[in-house]
Amino acid sequence: MGKGQRATQAYKSTEFIEQVRDEDGLVVGNPFKLAPSNSGSLLQDEGLASSKKTSSASPAPEAGVKQEKTLSELEAVPSLILVTTYLSFLMLIVFAHLRDFFGKLFYPANYVQLRVQNGLAPMVSDFESLWTRRLYGRIRDCFNRPITGVAGGHVNLLDRVSNDFNNTFEFTGRVRNVLNLASYNYLGFAQSEGPCADKVEAALHEHGLTPASTRAEAGRSVLLTETEDMVARFVGSEAALIVSMGYATNALNIPAMVSRGCLIISDELNHSSLVSGARLSGATIRVFKHNYTPDLEKVLRRSISQGQPRTHRPWKKILVVVEGLYSMEGEFCRLPEILELRRRYGFYLFVDEAHSIGALGPRGRGICDHFGVDPREVDVLMGTFTKSFGAAGGYIAGSKALIDYLRLHSHSAVYAEAMSVPVLAQVSSSMRMIMGEDREHALEGQQRLDQLAINSRYFARRLADMGFMTMGHPGSPVIPLLLFSPAKIPAFSRECLRRNIAVVVVSYPATPIITGRVRFCISASHTREDLDYALEQISEIGDLLLLKFHQGKTKEIASDDAKMKIQ
Amino acid sequence: MASQSAASHLAPLLTAESDEDGGQRGLFRTAWDFSFRMALRYIKNSYKDDPFRTFLEVCLIGFIIWYMTKQKYNIGNNEIELSEKEIDELVDDWRPEPLVPELTDFERETLDKAALLDGPNGIKVRLASGNGKALLNFASYNFLGFIDNPDFEKRAIETLRKYGVGSCGPPGFYGTLDVHMELEKHLAAFVGHSAAILYSQAFTTILSVIPCFSKRGDIIVADEAVNFSLQQAIALSRSKVYWYKHNDMADLERVLKDVNKQLTGRRGKNALPRKFIVTEGLFHNTGDISPLKDLVELKHRYKFRIILDESLSFGVLGKRGAGLTDHFNVDPHEVDLLIGALSYAIGASGGFCCADKDLVEHQRLSGLGYCFSASMPGILAVAASDAIRALESNPEGHFSSMRENASLLQTLLRRIPGLQVEGALESPLMHIRLTPETLVRMKRSGGAWTKTDIDRVLAELVEEAQKDGVFLTRAMYVDEHERLLPNSSIRICVSCAHTRKDIEKCAHAIKNAVSRVTSKKR
Repeated sequence: MGKGQRATQAYKSTEFIEQVRDEDGLVVGNPFKLAPSNSGSLLQDEGLASSKKTSSASPAPEAGVKQEKTLSELEAVPSLILVTTYLSFLMLIVFAHLRDFFGKLFYPANYVQLRVQNGLAPMVSDFESLWTRRLYGRIRDCFNRPITGVAGGHVNLLDRVSNDFNNTFEFTGRVRNVLNLASYNYLGFAQSEGPCADKVEAALHEHGLTPASTRAEAGRSVLLTETEDMVARFVGSEAALIVSMGYATNALNIPAMVSRGCLIISDELNHSSLVSGARLSGATIRVFKHNYTPDLEKVLRRSISQGQPRTHRPWKKILVVVEGLYSMEGEFCRLPEILELRRRYGFYLFVDEAHSIGALGPRGRGICDHFGVDPREVDVLMGTFTKSFGAAGGYIAGSKALIDYLRLHSHSAVYAEAMSVPVLAQVSSSMRMIMGEDREHALEGQQRLDQLAINSRYFARRLADMGFMTMGHPGSPVIPLLLFSPAKIPAFSRECLRRNIAVVVVSYPATPIITGRVRFCISASHTREDLDYALEQISEIGDLLLLKFHQGKTKEIASDDAKMKIQ
Repeated sequence: MASQSAASHLAPLLTAESDEDGGQRGLFRTAWDFSFRMALRYIKNSYKDDPFRTFLEVCLIGFIIWYMTKQKYNIGNNEIELSEKEIDELVDDWRPEPLVPELTDFERETLDKAALLDGPNGIKVRLASGNGKALLNFASYNFLGFIDNPDFEKRAIETLRKYGVGSCGPPGFYGTLDVHMELEKHLAAFVGHSAAILYSQAFTTILSVIPCFSKRGDIIVADEAVNFSLQQAIALSRSKVYWYKHNDMADLERVLKDVNKQLTGRRGKNALPRKFIVTEGLFHNTGDISPLKDLVELKHRYKFRIILDESLSFGVLGKRGAGLTDHFNVDPHEVDLLIGALSYAIGASGGFCCADKDLVEHQRLSGLGYCFSASMPGILAVAASDAIRALESNPEGHFSSMRENASLLQTLLRRIPGLQVEGALESPLMHIRLTPETLVRMKRSGGAWTKTDIDRVLAELVEEAQKDGVFLTRAMYVDEHERLLPNSSIRICVSCAHTRKDIEKCAHAIKNAVSRVTSKKR
């Protein structure tokens, strides 16, 4: 009797289903607003029904998935593409150096910043800034695109043009409404109206705007502690601590847990905030191959048996740091396998659920929920409210002893500002809705969760069917599509924008140099029309940019998806 | 001769290796086939001519392989070779320490007794434990009374209805709102610098800006008393750091001279590292003000740059409230990186960095807290804009009463026997602690005071003041991570919204509390 089934029963028994759905389970028209209709289509959705079975049946459904998925994917890339990608980068770098060389020769005034001036070393070194000036500068229009209003399913972009090759931008004053496949608005809580916004308004009225103090001094309010209790209940741990910024949640809390003489073993693709936190802690840092548990075991065995470098003293403690959902790859961490290792090797486990909390699992409780494991087996659960909850900031959850210690010893609790009132209210209202505790909107949360699961599976499946090379595990709301060539990265983004779609493209240094990609973030607030429109346009762009690498071949990813379903 | 041919023997091996890295299969396969055949023919021929030479060459290759593998295993590594069984035993034996140590009794007490506010923060607060009695708040950084300004609530709700709460993305990925850009412009204009960049938390602003520019091999000369976020930022930058005595310009000059002396004669790439003086505008831990004019002079004389943390001084010091540069009438451009906070006097949240346009743009890609975290909620950006606008339109209304209140409270507090007050006269933030003599008098057996004892006395003092209707807080630190742990104190923040009566009440409550606490022998 899984949670999924309970939810579907709820669907059957009440009138709260106000959405028109088609045969794929996608919402037609504007979600969360439309007239009632039957919900049978939802249950018939193959993908969803089987995913529910998966999560309630066995605790480790993904154990059988082969390990070297990403590697095998890369091998499937025609070598021609690999060669041309490397060549393009080589060309770009050669031209960057050439332009710099001649630029310095003929326009020295433009390069003043890079030289020693007035006895002062340049603030940014020549080499460091080469990438920014010569490569990033060319495609700067694809990033930092300013918006206005809410970053919901659609978003209003401020239209801008550049007349000097992206050096400066001018705003035309026009606003452009585009389909948003870029924001981390997984459950569609980025809203300026609706029950959550009403709660926020009430809270602003009752509690003011900010506490103007730190949590440990005068910033601890009833609203804060209540929300912390709710977060703990939501993730299934004893206690939780709220931090006012996502990056700071990692960077300022890891140093309180580990110190010199301890070891941090980190996935090689961990987020920058985890890296900062690890560095600030003073602990020794080792990395293991991305999501590859045999390598983690190898590192563990070596580290434990050898002890600390030079002295060979045993480590005080070992903290393994992984992410629940890797946002650049769309991959889930192999939590059941890591927990298996944890039982054997006795390390502490830190899971960063920045992207997975609220977005994964039949009840939205993140990666533990997805795999059906007990969240108390994970020593430190960290997550953010920026993504699924439409708020900001983050939390650390764990045992009461851990959280009590952090309340007095974490840098964020003692030195950083406590969370502001509207953000807290948004967190508590959206979380209450997901948990079904909001009586007036008891089912909306589950509806959003199911919608997200359906939308992401649908989108990924269609992309794979079209022959695109996508990454990641099925069910991930983040779907990266590999572009490879550096020229295709801005081209894809600009083509999308021309067709009124906002996407995020990422390249080196955020990804390995070869696998530049576009990343689609699916939201529960996308309708079938939205997704179909996007898919149609992406398909056209794919033809234009020769991106359908898998066309006519066996579709590895699609078959992987099928495998998952069988399980 | 021999080595040359050895090299040619090795050639196919090398190609084979690079083949795996490259992945350009077809091309390499032909090349490999070709060179393999060539090599084979060469070996055959040379063996026919001179078997002894072939023997020598094989030995040489063997030696080279042995030598190379030996190098790999021995450099900088003192690992012990263990069998699988031994590793298993070691794994079984290893017992980690608990993830976090247990709290001490005093820490447990602190946690249990921590103030829990019921309702909004402001000049008057209600504690959940206080039966609805309102207390005068001297604990929050509400210097300008912005957090209980009713106008802001209306604006916040308007903004909520337009922008929602969260921005759902980092600034690079559709998280830049128009209100962020307006606030950045507004801040730059208000401070008088070229450009500004917003971060969503004050602590992280500092943590991002300093490592963004000061890297390994660069030099930081920092004041000893800087706050914890600066200490962390300096640690994260991995630069070489020198400390000078708090606000002691002669000592700073000595350090700068020393640094420059060490650098003379350096050649090559690292001949001239980036050099920074790092200090605070209004010191969090002491309530002092940096002598900016002297700093600027020294900076020019010794060719350093200044990174100034104006987190507390922004909105507090200066005629217009634009911070330390305003206070001393120094051109803000003299401060190369000016870091400020919006979470203190401004009553919003987050922080910003003012600098030259190039340096600001650099941070948009390299400032970790900017790149890798969601942008500030629109509501808070608008609240900050409004607060600055309010300062621009009516500076007098805010600053004169705040300063009057501050100096009045300081004067009154200094009259209390047994109490030590730290903080500049202009500063609305001050630290109070019991004088060492009082502490000595309080100890019954004449034993030494530990830090916990002093903290406990201060906690009692805070409690006593609460009984008289004044809400105070001890200055909290993470003791084990501070570089030089400041002496325990109670931090008092005065607001412009306090009335003269409030200030008198506060001084009176503290006076009573001190006399009650000190009369107890322990």
